[in-house]
Order: sequence, then structure tokens, then C-alpha cells
Amino acid sequence: MPEKPPREIKYLATLPVNILLNAVLIIPFAIMIYLAFLKWSPAMGMNWWEAPIIGLTNFARALGDARFIAALSRTALYTVSVVAIEFFLGLALAYIMLGDFVGKKAAIAITIYPLMLPPVVVATIFYLMFQSYGPVNNLFLKAIMGEEALRIYWFLKPDTAFITLLIADIWQWTPFMFLIMYSALSAVPKRLVEAAEVLGASSFTIFWRVRLPLIKPLIIVALVLRGLEAFKMFDYAFIMTGGGPGTTTETVSMYIYRTAILYTDISYAAAMSLIILAMIIIVVRAFIWYFFERGR
Amino acid sequence: MGEVSKSRRLFLTALGTTIVGIGIGYAIGYLSKPAEIVEKTITSTATKTVTVTPGVTPPPIGLSGAATRALEGVRDLLNRGVITPGTTIKILHVAGSRAQLEKAIELWRQYVPEVNVELITLGQEPDVYTKAMAEAVTKAGTFDIVTIFSTWLGDIVEAGLAKSLDEYYAKYDPEYTGPCAPIEPLGSYVTIYKGKRYSVVLDSDVFTLSYRKDLIENPIYKSEFRAQYGKDLKVPDTWEDLIDMAEFFYNKNLTAPSGGRVYGAYFYAEPAFAAYITWLNIFIEAGGIPFDLETMDPRVDTPEGRYAFDIMLRLKPYMPPEAITAGWADLYDKFIKGETVFTAAWPSLTKEAMRPTSLVKDVAGSALLPGVVVDGKLIRAAPNPVNWVGVVSNYSRYPELSYLFLQFATAPDIGLDVILSGVILDLFRECWFKDPAYRPKSAEGYGEEFIDVYMESLRISFPDILIRGGPEYLSKLTTEVNSVMAGIKDPEVALSDVSAEWDSITRKYGVDTQLEAWRGLAQLFPDDVKDVWRAKGYMK
Repeated sequence: MPEKPPREIKYLATLPVNILLNAVLIIPFAIMIYLAFLKWSPAMGMNWWEAPIIGLTNFARALGDARFIAALSRTALYTVSVVAIEFFLGLALAYIMLGDFVGKKAAIAITIYPLMLPPVVVATIFYLMFQSYGPVNNLFLKAIMGEEALRIYWFLKPDTAFITLLIADIWQWTPFMFLIMYSALSAVPKRLVEAAEVLGASSFTIFWRVRLPLIKPLIIVALVLRGLEAFKMFDYAFIMTGGGPGTTTETVSMYIYRTAILYTDISYAAAMSLIILAMIIIVVRAFIWYFFERGR
Repeated sequence: MGEVSKSRRLFLTALGTTIVGIGIGYAIGYLSKPAEIVEKTITSTATKTVTVTPGVTPPPIGLSGAATRALEGVRDLLNRGVITPGTTIKILHVAGSRAQLEKAIELWRQYVPEVNVELITLGQEPDVYTKAMAEAVTKAGTFDIVTIFSTWLGDIVEAGLAKSLDEYYAKYDPEYTGPCAPIEPLGSYVTIYKGKRYSVVLDSDVFTLSYRKDLIENPIYKSEFRAQYGKDLKVPDTWEDLIDMAEFFYNKNLTAPSGGRVYGAYFYAEPAFAAYITWLNIFIEAGGIPFDLETMDPRVDTPEGRYAFDIMLRLKPYMPPEAITAGWADLYDKFIKGETVFTAAWPSLTKEAMRPTSLVKDVAGSALLPGVVVDGKLIRAAPNPVNWVGVVSNYSRYPELSYLFLQFATAPDIGLDVILSGVILDLFRECWFKDPAYRPKSAEGYGEEFIDVYMESLRISFPDILIRGGPEYLSKLTTEVNSVMAGIKDPEVALSDVSAEWDSITRKYGVDTQLEAWRGLAQLFPDDVKDVWRAKGYMK
């Protein structure tokens, strides 16, 4: 029986990572929570620990802030849209790539290539692509609409500006869904599929009744992971639209960034961040309960 | 033996872990330790005797007074042991000014090789602001000097980062009076906050009107314009004139040298940053005042505010859509390609237009921005958005030395060489425009026509809202201006929203303290603007 190390050794062994976690995560998070209950900005010329405590004022302010609510709603709409589209596209691509064919490895590599690019690079590329003189108008749309395509100004109207953000996100993150779905579908036991085939089930029935139920846990994981990331979207809006026109494509991350960094209203930004955190915890928890824990 | 081996292994593991843990803890403690503030009582003497320390090069004859006094000041600090050879000061700055600051350091090293100057270069302007405000919180002494936008001056001062420079101005005389002073009112409004000097002028960022001379001076177009509008085609005096000319050229559907379409005008209306510049310019010229001088209530929801929107919306059909959606650099791109007849931007636009690759290299003209006729008098004003200034950190170990470097780098002779070695810092001393010793150099860098226009623009320039919260006030204004220009908000609603947002910002910081700062800043606006404010009862 191997000798267990003494408790003191265990504490010492985990000391470095404990120090690191406390320094970069736990203590700053605790400070952020405290800041949310203060009225403090660096421009007030006082130390944060000397700032007056104002209770829930910042939270009430956020819930009454039309710009914050609009950014939140917009971000929620964005998240639902991109996650849904990316899921179905990723699933479809994964299903198509299930079988063996010539060049399959190259096809998979090309499919996941967008994931390797930094979001800032993708945002810059799509910003240029959607200019009035860019390839979207000059090549794709001109072939369909003629010269009229050159007068489409994607970033001038809220709806079209929003669509450009969706397209950039879908282009980059569909491969993420594809990878998870492909792995999940590949892991379905072949004997089950063969048994269904022998029994005369159609491809659709096999997919709907055999494959899909078996990969359901991974679908939930993919949706949650992708949803969390999409909700934090910042790069595309910052680079492509600047949150405009006006604030019609400003995401909640952008608004919190502006509040904290440009306006130095740190306390208010902290309060908004905590509201977002609480909302996400509730939504994700409800999601997991519904799909995994309900009925146990 | 096995037992001994395991014990030894456990001991060594524990020892190694302890050492690593202590090392990490020490590193974190060291990095978070605030800088020691070295306090010394400095007695200044009235004499100007230059004491030469053996092995140290004295300032040569021929340097300007400001530069000489700066160098003498450094000698004095060295002689008295306040600083020692090998002392290093650090400057936090944005990448765009690196070439010019390196030139300043190169010249500094010729005279003061014992004092090192290091640059901490950041990529983007917001990074400098963030770092500066972080320093205000941590007080770590990370840098000695920071170059900031004058727009941030209120925030930086109120956060406690900026050292008051009054005593150094008085002691060393940077030549802010006399024939080589920074042109007023700019020299005052970018350096003075609540009655005290907190910065040194590094730059000017006053807007001028740039236009295509070949189109404006074309005799055929002149004739057609006169026939159509009943007035001369020339550099516009008023915004109304400019709208007519923009309409005229837009309807001509001309092709630019780039092959693209020629637009009548391009004035900033973009969402991220610059939309406020155009609106504020017209608003101020129309006699608008941003805040009430008695109550600090916003005064944008006024006839002047509505007039500014009226002008911008009437210009909109003749501007490219990118004026509302693209970043600020797109204006430069369009003008350089000859796709804009009238535009306005920083002096760097003129420099870009002069480059060999510019398609308007020989036809770009410069003029004062159009004005607004108020009670029969043409009021012109030029916005001075951003404008780099140098600030000495309150947490610097060597504040006096840091100030002396700034005075040296911006002295009449040294300063001109510094400015002409790069792009983003521009002329601000009057002698650089007028004195035969300096003017040829300035003209070589900017063109003869431009420097005469620019000098006049500096005289009629007005500041950004430089009080605390300035970036936030202007950001909110930019968002609303862009919303109106994009057609998603009514001007009346936008002005009402700006008023509400500005009022909220004011109350966040305190009405009294904001009012004190605003009253000080309002006094530094150009005389013509203040005369209109008095005539309208906005100012006593």
C-alpha cells in the first residue's frame, strides 16, 4: 500500500496554484462584487476602499437603463440566432461528412479552418467584405442584382448591420459545432445503425430515432458552450460596426466595456456584470435541469 | 532503503514546492508594491550660473531660452545630487508619436547623456487612457510622463495622476508668453485646468477645411455655379454656402482620379468617436454653449443644437454613406483619392495629401472652416479635438526632471525638429509660423498655404469638453449624432437624450465641482465665441 503524503505536504504542493487562483481570480472577483455596491470611479480621485457604499443603487440603475436593457435584449437575440443556425449547419455538415469519401481529411481541415483565426481578424475581413465596394456587393450580389448591389450599404441600417455580425459569427463558429457533432455522431455504435438498417429503417429514421437520441447529451453541451461564448461577443461589433449605427448593434459586452474603460464608471460596470452573471447562471442551470435532471 | 528513498523524495518535493511558492509570493508582493516617493526639499537659487560637472557637456550657445533653461535645470539637479548620472525617466505614449519622441530623446542625449529616457509604447490611444487611469489607482510609479489627449485632462487631474506644473512653469519659463508662445487660446485651454497648469503642449489638432482646388477654381464650374445659385463658387464662408457647393458637385456625378464617384462633402458623423466634432463645431459657431455657466445644466437642446443638426442633415445627401459608418481614417482615404470636394480633419490630412502617392497632391487646398452668421457677424470657430499634451505623473520619482524633458522637447528650436520628424504631433508656437528662422522648415513640412491658414485656425480654435467626464460627455454626444445621421433618431429626441445623459454624468461627479471646471474652461474659448455668448446672455 503506497504511503499517503502528510496533509502538510498536500497543502504545500497546492500552495502555488492556490496563490495564483486567489491573485488572479478569487480576490479580484470579490473586489468586483464589493465595487458594485460602491459609488466609485478613478476620476473621483479617491481610493476604492474609501468610496461610499450605495447599496443596490447601481443595480437599480442598470435595470432602469434603457441602453443596457436594449443591449441585453439584442445580445440575447444574437445568441439565440447564431447558436441555432450554427447548430443546424454544424449538424448537417457533420452528417454529410460521416461517410468515407475521397479527400475527407482535407475537407474536414478546410471546414475547421475558420476556427483557427482570431475573432479580430475575422471581424476585419468581414468588415472589408461588406463595404459597398467589397466582394459581397461587387461579386456575389452584383451577379444577382446587377449595379443595384453597389448601393447596398450594409452598415448604414441597423438590420443589415446586425446581419453582417451574424454572418461573421456563423462563418467562424459553425466549425465548432461541426467538430462536436462529428465526434458525437462518429461515436454512435455501428451495430445499432446496422441493426436499424437490417430492420428496414430509412436514413431519416435512423438519424432521428437512433443517432440523435444517443448524441443528445453532447448536443446540450455544445449548445451551452457555444451559447456562453456567443453571449460574450465583442470583437465583431467593435470592429465591424462600432456598435452603430447609433447603438443599434451594441452588445452588452461592448456597453460594459465602454462604461468601465471609456467612462471609467467602474462600479456601475461591475453591477451590470454581476446582473449578467446571475442571469446566465439561472438560464444555464435551468437548461441543465430540464435536459438532464428532470424526471430523475 | 525503499522507505528512506520515499521519504527523501517527499522531502525534496516539499522543499521544491515551498521554494516555488515563496518565489511566486515574493514576485506578486514585489510587483504590487507602490513606488517609494523620494521627498527632498529643493531650494531654488536666483542665479543663472551654469556649473559644469566634470565630464558633463554644458549646453552649447545658440539654443533657445526654453531649451537652455531646461538643460541648466538638469545640470542643477545633477550638481545638487537630486538626480544622479544614470537616472532614467519613462514616458508612456501611443505608438503614433514614437518617431517624434525618439527624435526628442536623440536631441536630449546630445546635451544630457547622463539622463536616460525610455519609451513605454502602447498600440492604441484608448490603451494609454486605460493605463493612465490604472496608474492613478495603483500609484505604482510605472512611468514618469504620460502623453494624453487633452480631452482626458479633467479625468487625469481629478484622478490625482497629473502633477501641477505651476512651480516649474514659473521657475523655468517654457516661453508661453512672447513671440514664440503657443498660439492662444490653445496654449491655455489644453494646459490649464481649474486655474492651474497640469500639462505641456506637445501638439495641436485644429481642424481646417481641405478642398479640391482644381474643381473650385475651374472656370466652367464657376460659371455654371453662378448661373445656378447666383453667387460665386469659392471657398465657402458659411455652412449654407458649403451645402450649395456640395450639392452642385454631387449632382455633376464626376469621376475621381481613383475611378470612384466624387462626393460634395465628407464631414465626420461616424459612430465610434468623431461624430461629435462636426456637430460641436457648428453648434459653437452658431453661439451655442454646452453647459449653463450658472447651473451646469446642459444647453444642447436649444436652437443652436437644432441648427447644427439641420446643417448636418442637409449635407448628408452629398456625403458618402461611409461618413456615417466607417472609421475616422476613411475620410482621409476618400480625400486622398480625390473622391471628396470639401472635407475637414486634422493637420495630418494635409500631410497625407502632400505625399507622392496622393491623387490630390497638387490640387489640395486649405482654408478656414465655414462659419455661421450670428446677428450679422460671421462667426468662425475651429474644433481642436483630442490634442496631445504631456503630463508629469504625481507618482514619478523625478517630477522636476520629467518636466524639464518636456520643456526641452517642446522648446521653440528643439520642438520644431521634433514635430517635423513625425506625423501625429503638429505645430503650435507662433514663431513656427512667422519667424524667418523657423517658417521655412514649417512650410517644407506642411506647405506655405496651409501654415498661414493653420495659424488662423489656431487663433479661432476651441477645446473639447476638457472637464472631468469629458470622454463620456463626448461619447454620448457622438452616439446621438450618429443615430440622427443614420436616420434612426429624431434630432429633437437626440438632443433631449444628450441633455439627460450629460446631466446624469454631471450629477455623478457633483454639480459644484463640474461647474467650477466648466467656468474655468469657458473663459478659455476664443473671443468671438465668448462675445456671442455675452450677447445671448449665456455669459456675463
